[in-house]
Formats: sequence, C-alpha cells, structure tokens
Amino acid sequence: MSLTIRAKNLTRHYGRTRALDGVDLDVPAGRIVGLIGPNGAGKTTALKAILGLTSFQGELEVLGLDPSRRRDQLMQDVCFIADVAVLPRWARVWQVIEMTEKLHPRFSRERCMYYLKNTKIQQKQKVKTLSKGMVVQLHLALVMAIDAKLLILDEPTLGLDILFRKRFYSNLLNEYFDEQRTILITTHQVEEVEHILTDLMFIKDGKLILNSTMDDVHERYVEVMARPDHVDEARQLGPLHERVLFGRHIFLFDRTDLGSLGELGEIHRPSVADLFVALMGDEYDNGLAGEEAA
Amino acid sequence: MSMQTVSTLWALMRRELWENQGTLKWAPLIIAVITLFFIVMSLVIGARFDAELAFTLDAIREFAGQPADQRRLFMTGALFATSAMFFQFLILLVLFYLSGSLYEDRKDRSILFWKSLPVSDQMTVVSKLLTACLLAPALYLGAAIITQLVILIIATGYGAAAGINPFTTFWLPASLPKLWLVLGSGLVVQAMWLLPIYAWVMFCSAWAPRVPILIAIAIPLAVSLLQHAWTLVSGFRLPEFNLGLIMLKRLGSGLVPTNVNAQIDSTAHRADLTDIQFSEELYMNFSTVFGHLLKVEMWIGIAIALVLLAGAVWFRRRATDN
Repeated sequence: MSLTIRAKNLTRHYGRTRALDGVDLDVPAGRIVGLIGPNGAGKTTALKAILGLTSFQGELEVLGLDPSRRRDQLMQDVCFIADVAVLPRWARVWQVIEMTEKLHPRFSRERCMYYLKNTKIQQKQKVKTLSKGMVVQLHLALVMAIDAKLLILDEPTLGLDILFRKRFYSNLLNEYFDEQRTILITTHQVEEVEHILTDLMFIKDGKLILNSTMDDVHERYVEVMARPDHVDEARQLGPLHERVLFGRHIFLFDRTDLGSLGELGEIHRPSVADLFVALMGDEYDNGLAGEEAA
Repeated sequence: MSMQTVSTLWALMRRELWENQGTLKWAPLIIAVITLFFIVMSLVIGARFDAELAFTLDAIREFAGQPADQRRLFMTGALFATSAMFFQFLILLVLFYLSGSLYEDRKDRSILFWKSLPVSDQMTVVSKLLTACLLAPALYLGAAIITQLVILIIATGYGAAAGINPFTTFWLPASLPKLWLVLGSGLVVQAMWLLPIYAWVMFCSAWAPRVPILIAIAIPLAVSLLQHAWTLVSGFRLPEFNLGLIMLKRLGSGLVPTNVNAQIDSTAHRADLTDIQFSEELYMNFSTVFGHLLKVEMWIGIAIALVLLAGAVWFRRRATDN
C-alpha cells in the first residue's frame, strides 16, 4: 500500500517552544483524516511542514517527495486551503480562475464553473469586494476543480453558512473523494466532519495523542451514562473522563469489558467532541473545551 | 527553456500586469497624456500670438529647406527628448514596484495561495525581475512611441498647411525604426546596468518585515555612515570604498539613457564636454549602447546581482504568511 504522507520524528521548534514534538505519521491513500487540536497545538505547523511551507527536523515524505525541497513539484498533486481564504485581494474572479488554469496543469475550468454555479459570485467582481464567505466559496471551487492526490483543508468552512457547509461536505464526499485521493482536514466544527472521517488524530502540545481509524475509535472508547447508584462504582473502574449532564454522570472508558459497564447504565458511542474533551485533559475542560471542540 | 517554462513565466507576468496596473499601465499613459497636453497647449498659445500661423508656417518651410542631416538631428533629437521623461519615471516606479514585489503577498497572506500553485520560487522571482527589466520598459517604450507618433501626426497637419511634403520633412528624418531600436536596446542595457540595484531592492523585499523600500535605503546608508565614521578614527582618511556612494553612483549613471554618449569619468571629476561634436551620433549610436557591455563594472554588477537574487529566492522559499 502506498503511503500519501509518511513522517518520522517530525519536529519543529519556534525558539524554545516545540510546535511539533517528534510526530510519527503514516497516512495511506484513500483516507479522510481529521486532525483535531486546540489552537497552538501544532496543527497548522504540521500542515505547513507537509506543504513545504516551513522547515522541520526529522523525516517527512509526501507522495514520495521531500516537501521542503520539492514544493513546486509536490503542488502538482497537492492542493490546500489555509485557515483563512487568502486569495489575492486585488484580483478579479476571472483573473484568479485564469491564473490557476494557466499555472496548474490539473485544473479544470469546467468543474470550477460547476461549483461556482450555485453561488452569487460574479466573474468581474474583485476579490476584495466579496464577502468572507464568498471568498471561501471561490477558493473551495478552485481547489475542488484540481485533480489532486492530496487535499489539505485547514478550517475550510470558517465563515460559511450551514447550507453551504453541508453542501460542501456532501460534494467533497460524493464527487471528489475516491480511493486514489487523500483528504486531510483540520476543523473546530468536529461534529460536521466526524461522519465522513475514516481516520482521527488528536494533537496536543506538538504531540499526537490519538492516531487511529474511526472504526478503532468506535471499538475502543465507550461512554456510559451511569445510574445514580452506580456512580462510585463507575469511578472505581478508572474512567478517562467524567462529566455531568442534567444531573446524570457520564463516564468515558477506554476498552473495558462492555458487559460489566452495561450494568452501570446506558452505553453510548462517544462523539468525537466528547472524546476530544476527555483526551485533551483538564485544562480544556468545560468552558474552554466546549469552544475548542464544538 | 521549454515551452512549459515560457508559458508559466508569461502567466506569472500577466499576474504582475493585473496586480500593478498603476505602475505598468496607467503611469505611462498619464505621462503620454501630460506630454501631449503640454505640446498641444504650446501650439494653442503659439496660435494666439501668431495669427493665421504666418510665422509658424514660414518656420516650417524654412525647416523643410534645411540640409538633410540638420533635419535628422532636429527630428531625432526632439523625439528622443520626449521619450526621456518616460524612462526617468520608469526607473523610479520600477524601484517601487520591485520593493513591493516579494513583500505585498506576504503582508496580505495571499502568498499561501501563490505557494499552493506548482510554481517554483525561482520562477516567481524571475517573473518579477523580467517584468521590471523587459515588460515595464516595453510598455513605457510603447507609450513613448505612441506619443512620438501623435507628435508626428500633428506636425504632418502643420506641414500640409505650410504646403511642404510632411513625409520627407518630418517622417523620414525622424528615422523611426532606428530611433526605436536604439531606445529599446538602450532600455535593456540600462536594466542590465541597474541590475545590482534592482536585485538589492528585491532581496530586501523578500525578507523585510515592513516598508522594504526604506530598509533597502537604510542599510547602505547606515553602512556608509559607519564607514565614514570609521575613517574619522583611522586618521581622517577619506573612504576609498564607500557602499552608499557606490550604489548612488551606479543609480545616477544608470539614469542617463545608455544611448547618450556622455562619459562620466570619476577620475576626471567632471564630464569633458569640450570636444563633443553636437550630432545625432551623440544619442543615435548602437556602439554607445552596446559599449556598456564591454565595461568590467557591468559584469561585476551582474555578478553581484546574481548573488542577491539567489538570496531573494532563498528567503522566498522560507517565506510564509508570518
């Protein structure tokens, strides 16, 4: 199986702080990977290293190329959207499309127009006169019109309304994604992507604290809404996390015998957001965690 | 160079055209309009003093009777002079263009979009350099040519009114093909002469945290002041090698159109004008233009420029949005 991304001991320092601290990563082709982490956890640094936009220590190969040396060659097969839409503000929409067409051999103008059809974007408009959401729409249309092997989306739907977000993810899944392609997404809107992800990674302080397939995640972690009289009993089983919802105590366990847990209360599959809160530890608990994970 | 490289470079240079419309499109047009405005104004004012244009038409008839070389000298001289303003502004605006060329997209973060395209950083830097050295001069030359043609058309009208043959009186002595070739090749040689200055400004543009043009000026200024201060310590000897002066001299001598045969020789301390024959050879001579290519300073400058450009590419490769 060919690996799209292979990283070994990937490290990046900014002065004394380690934005990336020995990350090992193997992403095969045909996956949709969610990279989830709080701000400053190293998400963007990891993406920038993969895109050849920052230097790093350790080994990193993307589609068999060293991104720090062969960015131009790599970009034939990789596209990305940075966390904010960064299209040149002076340009008109048709100019941006024309430049991408002339400079990117795998760009299809037809597909781009197809994605723009449902928006209010006019060809003659300048990018700076577009609303934030429209710039994102334009950028997404450009990127989805490129026949790439690896698509990297850093907060792709920031500033978009819910209708467009839903349509974008359904386009992404139904029209764009196939076994040859890999998609790497970071987002704060975890609940929107958790149904399309095949792999899940949590990053914290430059380290990957979770790196597994969604199937494994579902198999490994369970959530129990304990009956009031079983709360102490549940605590003794060493849950990863405990939270209170409408007076009911909810415990998150890592791979425990389901039979015995069933006696404590109702068993759920934890959402990615709940898992995130549990694994990220106390400093992200409650208020903070709600913002970061939701 | 493959077809792919050429088409990529052309696409990147079109980007520069779109992004820098003020410098590349409107500025030469405005200079053309202003030049023609002053010419038309002086004709209108002249017509007010010279009722029925009697004197003007007499002068034109007089001019038509001059020997051929005198007419050539006057026509080429006048047209050459109208082009001068275009090319002075060209250098000034190109310096500003270059100072922003590797800075603006870092500032507004659109560098992340540009870097998402399969274009190498060398190619980006080269496209901007070619825009400064070839595309911008070509556009300014085009505007100068249009201005010259309009002047000739106005002259044709006056010539017809004076009853002389405008073609042999104005158009033929203007030696347009030669004039344009001299001006065009002169601009290319001038860009080569100024290449170390251009490359220095680009180099600063590639890494400066803000206002690259000021940084590009401040660094040589500070170095030459330090050098100067050091000579005060080292026995009041004047600096023989002063970075700021060298750069100023390069820029100053680069402002003179390369086709003008005025040897500014630093050892003579002033230009020797006594033995210059006032003829069109003074500015219509290809050997003057290409003579600059035989100077050692030309090639030292190009070597320095290549080092600075390599530095600009190095910084560009590492540049992101912050």
